[in-house]
Amino acid sequence: MNFTLNGEYRSIPEDWSDESLLHLLREHFGLVGTKFGCGLGQCGACTVIIDGAPVRSCITEVSSLAGVEVRTIEGLANGDQLHPVQSAWLETSVPQCGYCQAGQIMSAVALLEMNPNPGDHDISAAMDGNLCRCGTYRRIRMAIARAAEAM
Amino acid sequence: MRRRTFLSAVGGGLVAFFGAGAALWSQVPVVPKSPEPDSDTSRGWIRFHDGTFILKLPRIEMGQNIATGLKQIACAELQVGWDDVTVEFHDTRMERVKSTVGSESVSHFAEPLAQACSALRDALREGLRDGVVTVANRPIEELVSFRKGALVGSEPEIVQGREIVRGESLFAADVRIPGMLYGRIHRAPVSLEMSSFPRSWNEAGASAVPGFAGLFPDCNVLLGRSRGIGILATRPGALDRIETELAVEWSTGDRRDDTESSPALDIDRELATGPLPHLAMDGDPLTGDCEVDIRLDLPFAAHAAMEPRAAVCEWRDGQLIVWTGTQDAFYVRDFLAHAHGLETEKVLVKPCRVGGGFGSRTLCTVEAEAAALARHAGRPVKVQWTRAQEFTQGFHRPPSSHRVRGKISDGKISHWDHNQVSSHIIFTSAGFPAWMQGTIDLVTGDPGVARGMKVPYGIDEVRAAYKSVRQPVHTGPWRGLGAGPNCLAVESVIDEAALVAGENPVAFRLKHIGDTRLAAVLERVAGISGFHGAAPEAMSGERTGRGIACGIYKDKSYAAVVAEVSVSAENGLRVTRLWCVHDCGLVINPDQVRAQCEGNLVWSIGLVLLDGLQSANGRVTSIDFLDAPVPSIVDVPPISTELIESDNRPSGAGETVMVAGPGAIANAFRAATGVRPSRFPVQLEDLLR
Repeated sequence: MNFTLNGEYRSIPEDWSDESLLHLLREHFGLVGTKFGCGLGQCGACTVIIDGAPVRSCITEVSSLAGVEVRTIEGLANGDQLHPVQSAWLETSVPQCGYCQAGQIMSAVALLEMNPNPGDHDISAAMDGNLCRCGTYRRIRMAIARAAEAM
Repeated sequence: MRRRTFLSAVGGGLVAFFGAGAALWSQVPVVPKSPEPDSDTSRGWIRFHDGTFILKLPRIEMGQNIATGLKQIACAELQVGWDDVTVEFHDTRMERVKSTVGSESVSHFAEPLAQACSALRDALREGLRDGVVTVANRPIEELVSFRKGALVGSEPEIVQGREIVRGESLFAADVRIPGMLYGRIHRAPVSLEMSSFPRSWNEAGASAVPGFAGLFPDCNVLLGRSRGIGILATRPGALDRIETELAVEWSTGDRRDDTESSPALDIDRELATGPLPHLAMDGDPLTGDCEVDIRLDLPFAAHAAMEPRAAVCEWRDGQLIVWTGTQDAFYVRDFLAHAHGLETEKVLVKPCRVGGGFGSRTLCTVEAEAAALARHAGRPVKVQWTRAQEFTQGFHRPPSSHRVRGKISDGKISHWDHNQVSSHIIFTSAGFPAWMQGTIDLVTGDPGVARGMKVPYGIDEVRAAYKSVRQPVHTGPWRGLGAGPNCLAVESVIDEAALVAGENPVAFRLKHIGDTRLAAVLERVAGISGFHGAAPEAMSGERTGRGIACGIYKDKSYAAVVAEVSVSAENGLRVTRLWCVHDCGLVINPDQVRAQCEGNLVWSIGLVLLDGLQSANGRVTSIDFLDAPVPSIVDVPPISTELIESDNRPSGAGETVMVAGPGAIANAFRAATGVRPSRFPVQLEDLLR
């Protein structure tokens, strides 16, 4: 089975076909930026973008991936050139422990691609499923607003 | 079906040891050592090599961004640029440092680091290029980094920030080694206080699961008194399926193990049996009538760090190498060396960035599981707990039950009496068996339980007493230790006393405050929040209120908070605005101190409105974020934080606001509804009655 991963055409070995996308990304492809947080789609740490929509990779079966386009945190930057959301995240010093941040950033990217100028309610609706125990939420709002301006 | 014969009833202290490694576990646990840092040890933290300074970070990085703060200290003292210093994490080849806990990283480590850097700087200026520099402590006034200027007080890009936003490998679970297997110790669904072990299981079924790589029934890795069965797989997703197919039948201890669901802690029941054994403040008990009398009850609460704990272990030529997200790499090393009968030099622990600590990564759990499985498999093994394991196998903030009584004379509190029954925190039941806790309790109390009971107010007669009762669910350190619950109690009572005295809560507190720094944060937060103005306007069907609280953490950091809340049948209980003022003396990185304040405010919202684990039969039954929610972005209102900066020695910021945030929010709900929140997490129906 084949799919597109961060712009590259990739094939999935047969023995990984019963795994979750999260495990495939982390342990087979070595893209460890996407995190395991709950395995139930409740925390958002594993968020990736599939065909433009934010998706919880921990509850996405590999068998459903044929032909889709998956983007992960590793696919955002262009070499040393950070994506505007990544830059905004750094400029706002959002991360504390950092564990949930890839998922937060992917949800934010998906939001901004669908809605370039989100209001507070749009941000709440898009980010409500991405938990952060360190409590970086205030800065997440600020960074999304900053990225929206930059984009 | 594979069956083995065991001594299956293991009540009454009879324990069945079996399999290799049984002798490795002794009755006395390995206890963390906590040397205070000094200039002798600090020499190993900074070195100059090929034109670059290398800062070997003597702390664990877990989101407090201490790597950034200590790099600022180093750059300032060395008088070099930001890019001239490279930060490396330490491992256990460095001289031992104490665990990263208690908001101590700046207060305890900045000065030894600065002393080492100043000695190195001077040696380089004298032309020295080789050898070891002797650190002669100089007066703190001579340390460049203890004065605001240049990098001290600045906000550089955080260390590892770029790697985080790019998704690079930083955490223990990100480690990948060729040939690595994925492991889990599957344990009986009973209290960790109850002895349990696998009695029978379906090996044929399990081994038919694609990805199955082996079983380790005799793994003998204890978690409390739980002894599970080891599972190995070539792919992580297979672990759940193997666990299901195994269909383990468990042998569990009988009821003499005292693991029946013990009655909830009840301060009044305790007090009825006599005075509590330990004193945080030793005034006379308050007898007779009093004007304020409040009871507060808080449940178990999880750390709920976003990273389920993880470790990768590899045995290489008789040496054990461990990658883990821990708050104390040296303790993990000592523990594993003891468990496997090795010299400590044969265990190398490489601590990774921790995906949220909050006190939870202070013991050795997942590391012991991965080490045993890797030894058995002869291959590297990665273990990452599931979210359910985090809740059911971790230790938690203990429940606490408080009664605080206050007497008011001439418009001031004249007598204060706080009694608390809780469970152990520093002498955590996850690390100390019952007999050791019992012995300790005879000699001394648990200072973690007492933290925050010492009132910051000038009151003639103050008594604060407590008792720790071991629970069937393991308890231990949680952000701020006892300070969150205790200061919530203290700030609820002072607020109630102000109402009785008919005074403004700020003025009433100020009458009792002698410490000018505490008065300053309180007055400042009242000022920036417009606390003395009218309460926020309420919509139809809504009640709004504003509350204030203040406190001192560990006698050295100050915080005051104002909260605005909204209560309505339609929208429930909501915190709508927060203001915070914080004073930790000299501020190395204002932005990151503000970040810690913000985090603690979110924890304050959680403590008042959400934190609470369900348990039954001595075991946590919450297994996911639906059962045990943490605040999400919609729970967090706009936050304003101001810092009072000074030349006072830098103290700490990681937990300070836990002394004031919960109290301010609870007081705001009291103001909005007229009902004093007393049972936490607060429910709408408790306030709208």
